[in-house]
Amino acid sequence: MNTTKDMQLSTPTDTTIVITRSFDAPPRLVWAAMFTPEKMRRWMLPPPGWTISALECQVCVGGALALAWKSAEADPAMTLRGVFTEVVLHERAVHTEIMAMGTGQVVGSLVEQHEFREQGGATAMRITQTYASKEARDGAMASGMDEGMEACYKQLDSVLAS
Amino acid sequence: MVLDASPRLDLVFHALAHPARRAIIRQLSGGERNLSELAAPLSMTFPAATKHVRVLEQARLVRRRVAGREHLCRLQAKPLKEAMQWTEQFRRNWEVRFEALDSLLEEMKAEEETPHRRR
Repeated sequence: MNTTKDMQLSTPTDTTIVITRSFDAPPRLVWAAMFTPEKMRRWMLPPPGWTISALECQVCVGGALALAWKSAEADPAMTLRGVFTEVVLHERAVHTEIMAMGTGQVVGSLVEQHEFREQGGATAMRITQTYASKEARDGAMASGMDEGMEACYKQLDSVLAS
Repeated sequence: MVLDASPRLDLVFHALAHPARRAIIRQLSGGERNLSELAAPLSMTFPAATKHVRVLEQARLVRRRVAGREHLCRLQAKPLKEAMQWTEQFRRNWEVRFEALDSLLEEMKAEEETPHRRR
């Protein structure tokens, strides 16, 4: 099975990260998978030992995006809150995002834009993340590298491959 | 999502965030250079180049030694390699999510085609 589908990661400016990826499904379905809470649970994989304890996503202008994770030590261990600011059904969605520790301490914020373009029954998706500063952007880039998380993803890989 | 990056790696990313410092790293990848050699192609004053080298030193990307009147700079590859790997991990995390999305989308397509049966 071809699983890479040409994901591209780039940093066109000091404060942005752009991720492009195509999916073998029409934009309508990719949209539903990206923004429907019960579908989001399938791909927003929590770090090991964590579970998603709350997930809300109302993809309309002014609609809320809210996620909470819990661990054995903390509930919530981390939260993500945002608001959709622009929505063009199946084409484009922009939302804010504030990540905070369970204690309420904010650890990062960004604006994320999703764009979906139909390409002969498939979908070309582009995610643009915009951070407040270069340092915030670089920090976010560095934040995905927890070893435990990697172990979790390796586990998932084997599940997907079977 | 784990957001507390190691402080040292923050320094590395900060150091890499400036084009002049990336240019200095490129030059140093060709071997040891003195400060004047580093400043010249950047049309930079000596103190300005020194400032950038200091940021690189703090991130342990560059080591400086004094030989007579010369300040010789040398690239320290390890932190740079570490930073690259971390960026690679960011990419990998997204890829794995997208792979999960792929299999979800296959299911959704199958459900649409045969509404009463799952693949």
